[in-house]
Amino acid sequence: MYPPKRNLKIWPDDVYLVSFPKSGNTWTRFLIANLAHANETVGFENIHRLVPDPFVTWKRDFDRMSRPRIIKSHECFEPRYPRVMYIVRDPRDVVISQYHYHRKCNKIEDGYPMKTFVERFLAGQTCPHGSWGENVTTWLTSRHNDPRFLLLRYEDMVADPHREMTRVARFLGVPADGDRVAQAVERSAADRMRKLEKAQADKSSLTKDSRKELSFVRAAKSGGWRSELSEQFAGQIEAKWGHIMTFLGYALATRDAASAEPELASFMPSGPR
Amino acid sequence: MIWGLKKIIKYMLGTDVAGRNLAVYPDDTFIVSYPRSGNTWTRFLIANLVHPGQPVTFANIERLIPDCEAMSSRYVKGVPRPRIIKSHEYFDPRYQKVIYIVRDPRDVALSYYDFSRKYRQVDDAYPLVSYVSDFVNGRLSSAGWGTWGENVASWVHTRNGSAAFLLLRYEDMQVDTVRELGKVSRFLGIDPAPERLASAVERSSADRMRGMEKTQGDQWVATKNKRSDIPFVRTAKSGLWKEKLPASSIAEIESAWGPLMTALGYELTSADAGTQSEVGFSISATRGTR
Repeated sequence: MYPPKRNLKIWPDDVYLVSFPKSGNTWTRFLIANLAHANETVGFENIHRLVPDPFVTWKRDFDRMSRPRIIKSHECFEPRYPRVMYIVRDPRDVVISQYHYHRKCNKIEDGYPMKTFVERFLAGQTCPHGSWGENVTTWLTSRHNDPRFLLLRYEDMVADPHREMTRVARFLGVPADGDRVAQAVERSAADRMRKLEKAQADKSSLTKDSRKELSFVRAAKSGGWRSELSEQFAGQIEAKWGHIMTFLGYALATRDAASAEPELASFMPSGPR
Repeated sequence: MIWGLKKIIKYMLGTDVAGRNLAVYPDDTFIVSYPRSGNTWTRFLIANLVHPGQPVTFANIERLIPDCEAMSSRYVKGVPRPRIIKSHEYFDPRYQKVIYIVRDPRDVALSYYDFSRKYRQVDDAYPLVSYVSDFVNGRLSSAGWGTWGENVASWVHTRNGSAAFLLLRYEDMQVDTVRELGKVSRFLGIDPAPERLASAVERSSADRMRGMEKTQGDQWVATKNKRSDIPFVRTAKSGLWKEKLPASSIAEIESAWGPLMTALGYELTSADAGTQSEVGFSISATRGTR
């Protein structure tokens, strides 16, 4: 009756769904669970069994699971993961989402200064998975353009979930016909997830010990930072990670993209791996 | 439950290997590198620098700078803080203060070949060309630490430029050991007095280490029960790949990691190396990602 954590036995056919926290991982888990388990009603109470989390799901459940498994993770580069779908999200939106999530989890009080939170976010002190820049960089520099790696942008998923889920289905080798993908997208819609969250809040470790008046499924939008994040904070994030953001296609608002240009060079590992 | 009990018993008996399950403290300093990149020499240099009063040997090195890839969780936990710990781990966000040693992967591959034979992981008849291919494609047991390129990139791209990260090249350490150890000394907040540096360098010389390996090899976790006809302390030289590595192996390494090697100052020799231009992040001397 305990989660296996890092001692989980990894199989060669495991696929990992990885992201920095608050980057759309839960939504993607729902999308994938609905795609792969079309006969089940996917909800907060069974998501840990369908797309398990080694830090939450019990080892007993892992042992009973059919393979191939799709496993959720927030870890930085991990050479043991055989295949990886990595979700990135604009760090200016991630910081806001994480701020609200920490309020929900009683990690910070309402009115906690955003200035302090942004500083902690930049220093990688808001979660145990490295900073946003570290988490993203370790994966991109080791696996980008590798057939074992699928890069997903949260923003692309919001803009066209059908198209992005078709990519996911192909990567996973599950049937990618239009109806099936459309059904998974519909069943994982933000409205529907919000309703499920309300009904099952006490049954899921994602929500059970946190403030019920704040929703886990929040705006489900991209670009909220434009109205919620002051220029100063956006500027701090862009100053630190502008080169990574530019590479990922996140337009900089406070500095010329060219200022990040010298940071871009051609030396990602290439070749067979 | 049985499985959980096994873990607990292993911990208590000290028969596990700390590795990635190591409990990390904020005041820890880590000496990190891919295997066969000068980590043991650097450990001796640093141990001799930090503990000038006692000669560092293979018999006491694990107490002074424990190897979290060889010692148990319980053992490493028992080492007095602030600890300096040897590691081969790919990027671990918990490591706050890191000295990272990088070495030309063409020399690393050669050194690893001898090491793998010493450890009886491959036999003497296994062709070097096949070994290098395994090395590049992550088919050796060392791939548990990522490939050379993955391990190096995971640290250098995230931390280089940060005040809590010191990047050392094995080749620079050989050219001017005192100068490079001086950097380490300042990084650790130790007064880099010339006599102190010189003494640490002298006490960690390859000759001295070879002598100690002969007499203490059976007392050290890394050499105990391994083939004694192949030394752990090898040539302590750089550039041997130029004469010993087949051209096809050189090309294979350069084609896999050319851009990263170039960024680290390792000149490429094969014609088609590193021309695939994929966009990455350059190693900035002024800024890490944290």
